[in-house]
Amino acid sequence: MTSSTVSHGSTEAEPLAFECANLSVDVPADKQSRRLLDDLTFSIRQGEIISVIGTSGAGKTTLMRVLGGLMPVTPDSTALAAGEPIKGPPPRVLMVFQDYANSLLPWRTVKKNVALGLETTLRGRELDERIDEALSLVGLQHRAGEYPWKLSGGMQQRVQIARALALRPACLLMDEPFGALDAMTKSGLQDELLRLQEQTGATIVFITHDVEEAIYLGDRVIVLGGIPGRIEHILDVDLPRPRDQITTRENPEFLRLRHAAYESVLSSEQGSAAGGAGAGTGDR
Amino acid sequence: MTTTAASPEAGAQEALPSRPRRGAGLLRHVNLPGIAFLAVLVVLWELVVRGGLLDFQFLPAPTEVLDGAQSLIEGGELWSAVLHTALVAVGGWILASTLGAVVGIALGLSPALWRWTASSIELLRSFPSITFVPLAVLLLGFSYKMELVVVIYASQWPVLVNTMDGVRGVSPGLRDVTRTLGMSRLRSLRTVILPAAASKMLVGLRLGLNLSLILAVAAEIVGNPQGLGYELVFEQQALQPGRMFAYFIAIGLLGMLLNALFQLAVRWLMPGVIAATDRKG
Repeated sequence: MTSSTVSHGSTEAEPLAFECANLSVDVPADKQSRRLLDDLTFSIRQGEIISVIGTSGAGKTTLMRVLGGLMPVTPDSTALAAGEPIKGPPPRVLMVFQDYANSLLPWRTVKKNVALGLETTLRGRELDERIDEALSLVGLQHRAGEYPWKLSGGMQQRVQIARALALRPACLLMDEPFGALDAMTKSGLQDELLRLQEQTGATIVFITHDVEEAIYLGDRVIVLGGIPGRIEHILDVDLPRPRDQITTRENPEFLRLRHAAYESVLSSEQGSAAGGAGAGTGDR
Repeated sequence: MTTTAASPEAGAQEALPSRPRRGAGLLRHVNLPGIAFLAVLVVLWELVVRGGLLDFQFLPAPTEVLDGAQSLIEGGELWSAVLHTALVAVGGWILASTLGAVVGIALGLSPALWRWTASSIELLRSFPSITFVPLAVLLLGFSYKMELVVVIYASQWPVLVNTMDGVRGVSPGLRDVTRTLGMSRLRSLRTVILPAAASKMLVGLRLGLNLSLILAVAAEIVGNPQGLGYELVFEQQALQPGRMFAYFIAIGLLGMLLNALFQLAVRWLMPGVIAATDRKG
């Protein structure tokens, strides 16, 4: 059961965490279908942290829902999680949502919220230990008995992360998890997430609209752009770990990447504005 | 003061001015000015009738009503009528709530089912329930069964509709959570969707309880020769205003009692839901 803590740095034999080729997503619209993602090809190694940025409407959330098995792809797409086609939520792949208040059950205490994914498989002491373990990973073991809505936003988001961690995930899919938090809380949680990743070796797909956050956390940054969304760039982030809120952000390489990422996002925005007007697609 | 799971409709029927909260002294929550004002009204009623200011032939003074009540209590009619009406109202309400909740959950979960049944449900629901009483009398006769059917029919609507709304209103985010955690459909229904819909369902249950008493009394007035409604009309036709008003007040008190018991049961059975609802309120 402790095998989840290894798998840092992929070996040849291990399947990729995700492998996607010509991945497209269509959703039914009024008359014909509307395309949300168009022809994405990328792969994610196990233990890697991938940031995804892009203009709104470029399909960041759609991509996460596809990887989390909540949304189907077109028949000609390839989408594999740990070597298996994604049909429904893949095993040990867990999503963390931006809207923490609506993701936690207000009638359950913090502890019972963390137990939500485990209650059917574990009981008694074993369950308690797993919950304790997950809560101490996010530093909330002393708040186990409280109701989540009594906690601050940052703590609530940590409860949601603990709930995912309790299931010992191989991969966390995080959709703008810190988007609703203030800057100080946010940078604290960024470092906490990096530390958690060190400890658990989990793969992390981190969606954000914050370019600096994307670079600070990621091993690579995928830039999505256009409507429907396409991959504009994949940037390699060659910054030393452990990262540091002050020195990493002052590193010339960080600034270079920040420049490149902004440029990529902005050019895709201009491109999609022109393309969108020409094709006359709805801009929802 | 926020009432738990209160709706604007239910608020109007909130006849209890104070509700004892857990762990607090009862006396502190009794609305003394409210009760004093009520007492003044009763005394005024007495004076106005006695003084001949109101010239109704059959308007009893409160003391006459008390006499009437006393004779009914001594004769045992009052208790058997209260028991009958309470049993039908509560029994019918329980059956109706079960039916309404099950159908409401099904309709809330399945858009296809709703598409097929929506027109029929909206049509049936738009009839005032009371118009079904004469129909039920015609079909089922002057009977206990008729009364029960009418009660069930009327009080399942608010439960059904509110359950459906509640289930449908569960945030898509919460549904995503159940899926990413790998919960089965049955388990997500039991541990997430129903509790999330509970505050809405409680509103429906409470409205249903009020309706069940209304319809039980109506059915007794029109059809079933038993219970408070029947006795009310019987005393009216016997020109016994004191006794008639005693029944009249008994019906109101029964309504208050049922409501209060419902509140207590909710607080006792579902403290977590109340905590979550209080937060929003």
